[in-house]
Amino acid sequence: MATVETAPAGAFVRPDGKEKVTGTGRYTADLTFTGMAHAKFRYADHSHAKILRIDTSKAEAVPGVVAVVTQADLPDVKFGGFVQDRYLFAKDVVRFEGEIVAGVAALSEEIAASAAALIEVEYEVLPAVTDFEAAMGEDAQLVHTEWASYERDENIESSGNTMAYHTIVKGDADAAMTGADVVVKGRYVSDASQGVPIEPRAVIAQWQGDAVTIWSSTQVPYAARAGVAATLEVPEADVRIVVPLLGGGFGAKCDLHFEAQVAALARAAKRPVKLVFSRQEEFVAIAQRREGIAMEFETGVTREGRLVARRARLVLDKGAYCGEGGFLGQMAAMHACGPYVIDNIEIRSYLNYTNNQPSGSVRAPTAPQVCWGLEQHMDEIARAIDMDSIELRRRTLIEEGDEGPTRQIFDRVGVKETLERAVEMIGYGRDLPEDEAIGVAVGWWPCMPAPSGAYVQLNGDGSGTIITGAQENGTGAVMAMPAFVAEELGMQPGDFSMLYQDTAAAPWDMGSCGSQTTFNSGRAVLAAAAEVREALLDAAADQLEADRGDLELADGTVRVKGSPERSVSIAELAGAGTIHGKGSGEVPDAPECDAGGCVGLLGNESFLAPQLITQAAHVKVDRRTGVVRVLRVAAAHDSGRILNRMGADGQVYGGVVMGVGMALSEGTMLDDQGRQRNPHLLDYKLMTCSDAPQIDVEWIEYDAVNAGPRGSKGVGEPPQVPTAGAIANAISKVLGAQVRELPMTPERVWATGREVGA
Amino acid sequence: MKVTTTLTVNGTAYPVELDPHISLLRAVRDEVGLTGSKEGCDDSECGACMMLLDGKPVNSCSYLALQAEGRSVTTVEGLAGEEEMGALQRAFLHQGGVQCGFCTPGMLVSATALLRDNPEASEEEIRIGLSGNLCRCTGYDGIVRAVKQAASGQVAAIGAPPHHADTVAPHHGG
Repeated sequence: MATVETAPAGAFVRPDGKEKVTGTGRYTADLTFTGMAHAKFRYADHSHAKILRIDTSKAEAVPGVVAVVTQADLPDVKFGGFVQDRYLFAKDVVRFEGEIVAGVAALSEEIAASAAALIEVEYEVLPAVTDFEAAMGEDAQLVHTEWASYERDENIESSGNTMAYHTIVKGDADAAMTGADVVVKGRYVSDASQGVPIEPRAVIAQWQGDAVTIWSSTQVPYAARAGVAATLEVPEADVRIVVPLLGGGFGAKCDLHFEAQVAALARAAKRPVKLVFSRQEEFVAIAQRREGIAMEFETGVTREGRLVARRARLVLDKGAYCGEGGFLGQMAAMHACGPYVIDNIEIRSYLNYTNNQPSGSVRAPTAPQVCWGLEQHMDEIARAIDMDSIELRRRTLIEEGDEGPTRQIFDRVGVKETLERAVEMIGYGRDLPEDEAIGVAVGWWPCMPAPSGAYVQLNGDGSGTIITGAQENGTGAVMAMPAFVAEELGMQPGDFSMLYQDTAAAPWDMGSCGSQTTFNSGRAVLAAAAEVREALLDAAADQLEADRGDLELADGTVRVKGSPERSVSIAELAGAGTIHGKGSGEVPDAPECDAGGCVGLLGNESFLAPQLITQAAHVKVDRRTGVVRVLRVAAAHDSGRILNRMGADGQVYGGVVMGVGMALSEGTMLDDQGRQRNPHLLDYKLMTCSDAPQIDVEWIEYDAVNAGPRGSKGVGEPPQVPTAGAIANAISKVLGAQVRELPMTPERVWATGREVGA
Repeated sequence: MKVTTTLTVNGTAYPVELDPHISLLRAVRDEVGLTGSKEGCDDSECGACMMLLDGKPVNSCSYLALQAEGRSVTTVEGLAGEEEMGALQRAFLHQGGVQCGFCTPGMLVSATALLRDNPEASEEEIRIGLSGNLCRCTGYDGIVRAVKQAASGQVAAIGAPPHHADTVAPHHGG
């Protein structure tokens, strides 16, 4: 049983906290196994080239090398979430700089690295497709010449370099645009950016007979298990993924990520093999960056501020492979509508292959970039009709009963309250020095309904064990589960330990992605606890000769309401330790909608229990240098009922600071071959402690309908959604012009100011 | 060619055999076997590997192990001395200064040095003092609250109400 650090009244102390502050906690890279070898990958020498020949003989001859693996050694199986387009190791073609051509395992990292460099690869270099808008031109070089033959989700619409095409169509946008009082157009372009968990990825694989155990720094152990099983053609039952402490993810550690390559090396080497990424590999080799997007918005509006029509064209940089990011185009299309009432809509979204690093889910994928563009567009609309931009949002944001882009009807939502609270907190409208301004942005993000399962068992001494498939990435979402279960059973959080992050222990779980842990896994754990509660009530009713309805669970006992002396301890009821419960709970239904006119339906066409956010940013701009400093951010969020205030606040602080970085400094720069020019932390600058603004957080709380346990929604991703947009709108007030490229670096801010003579 | 030497870590002398090019971080993690200090970048950019060398914070990833010969190395494992946890560590837990925990060892080492040199550090001094340590989870808010709490000696008063966002005074530029 966990010994739990006693918290001051009202505070939440995470059960994994003590090991994290004392240095005794183990992350994947901290583990060592007897006989363990070390892996290094040989990466592509070109961003786009045909492989003519791979010769590994010199590497194999290096003393200390215990295995060399290429795709020729493995089943001819491709993987990918929506389109199966990639091999574990490049087979015939390399399509981005981080593509893995071969893996080497050796007695030391140094030997493995020098052997990997000796592998001879002969190429026929092909033109690299790096411009993701030009990629859809008719004469563009194809990134995947065999695209039409790939296995794919039946709802994915593909053509050439456009891996997925999506539309959202409502009413008649063309006709409504013609009838609008004013039409406003705007183009915005966001660079790609990165999740940058401070822990670089690590994987260790060890075979015992036909079964493999893989310790991995993954956010999605069950997806990793499925990927290993599929690509190595072994049953899922023979693949066990264990996640030691996970040093952050932010989406960058979603999807199958190197577990299968390391398992293949370990099988060939007949010993455990460990891979630990360098920071540069963590930038370049992962298939999970935040995508670059070019956005063109056109909105027809009445003088009174009614949004009568929205057209948008979104082009997204998918990079070389699909991975789990096949849905990005549809998600971006929903964010091009935003949480607004719009009468007629026509959004076209193109997710294009390039020879750049693959894009995938990074914290609220597509939302912060599109929100950054759309919310600047909203400010432009307000100016065009001479209306205050807050007033325009007041008149157009959704409320209960309103209709969404695909005619879903919203339940209660608190977005207008978030707007009012954020502008009040920041002091919107007050006089500021001429180089300072306040900008506001509003965003949304759906809850992700998914099945989950959990067990709760009581041990003979009255302590309990929670067994959940949920994955803790640092947010505290899993760490809060003992408190939920304890409350259900009248016990203390410290009475429970947890078995989690082990695919052999618990039923399938989606993983720490989609802000879904409390929403889905929390529901399952509570359902399992409810079964235990029923068993305890049955047992206590017998023992106390009382009616079940007269009993309550409190203070570690089951007792007769009003007669606390008639009680029996849970430890006594637990007996030998066979009382247990299992649960899944009921997955909320996706809202009904009318998406018949839309192309590419992947499940994001309606938003279940949307989380809604307004952030207001107070910003100071140095016009001479273009340097922007964010002084303060006021964040008002509707995530329904908040179940763990310290954990939820922590998500906002972290998300906002990530958003400030994305706004001002975080952009992946590419050369003309699609190679990253800043794959390290000196040139890819994260916000430091002294860069971070003051952040004030408020929650608009109510019991959300058709949502997570106890009226909750998700929490983790939305905090980053509107931050860059709010900062952009503040900058534009100082400059008198919109900054149309993200990140809004000093050069770009300076150049924008110069164009308008600010 | 390995070199035999002794590294003194958290008050204990460890005889080790090292390749001369090995960093202090590698030596402490792989040879001494204390894995609390983390490698986040191997380039002095993230601070996850921060150790005290004769009391001064260094990025141990960029420091040769042999340069630590005859000197005193302190890692996160040694911060509390004989205690299970020190006041600063408790404050990190109570103020939400820990999420994924990967930056935490380096943060604690830097904050320890900061508070030892400046026990009454202001919020601005704390923020500047911790700028060599990157955190991607917390937005630094809980970390700064924790160091402020330790700086003001409130840590001893376990049971005091936790600081929430609405009770923390605005800091620099606010």
